[in-house]
Amino acid sequence: MSLHVMYYGMLAEITGLAEEVWVGDSQLTVGGFRNQLLDKYPAMREKKFKVAVNQKISEDFVPIDAQSEIALLPPFAGG
Amino acid sequence: MEKVHKPKKVFVQGPISPDFVSKSIASHQSKTNIGAHAIFLGQIRADKKETGLVSGIEYTAYEEMAEQLFHEIREAAFAKFELSCMHIYHSLGVVPTGEISLFVFVSSPHRRAAFEASEYIVEEIKANVPIFGKELVGEGGEYVWKENK
Repeated sequence: MSLHVMYYGMLAEITGLAEEVWVGDSQLTVGGFRNQLLDKYPAMREKKFKVAVNQKISEDFVPIDAQSEIALLPPFAGG
Repeated sequence: MEKVHKPKKVFVQGPISPDFVSKSIASHQSKTNIGAHAIFLGQIRADKKETGLVSGIEYTAYEEMAEQLFHEIREAAFAKFELSCMHIYHSLGVVPTGEISLFVFVSSPHRRAAFEASEYIVEEIKANVPIFGKELVGEGGEYVWKENK
């Protein structure tokens, strides 16, 4: 399945991309995706970030549906 | 009857001007059920970093998710506190030191609800809305990523 992955803030600096298409298997969870991501971008291991699936911050056990929009969110700084 | 609040545009490009704040206050003079306004203004601080002083913050956001969360925070605040109206504005792009990046404006018949709602809204924004900030240091293009405590 293909996912739309978006990177924000310092994470976009690591990937060099604002977004990309991610091809994953159909049983993918947030935790599984996180592991694939850290394999592809080892520099992210040192960064704190949250994963939003379809605009909802999601824990590692949450399954990811096909066509989902995934956003990688570094620490917030609003205000 | 439950009142339905339309989603409002929160983000503005660049700093929020004192003139905009004063016009917002003036526009409430006709709402005579209001007895108390509380206003919170977030201002960019010239923090000292290793290589110099912060000269401004460049804000970006996951805008669609942020707008949705602002809407949810508004709805929750209306449900928790006795409010007549509420406005939230947050900057995107560069806001120089000394200028305003966040404007929260709540109005109520009485002061207690206004005080409490403004604090609630600001804390919710800081903790939960996906806004990112690059603290620009000096004039040489250096920066550090900001993180809310």
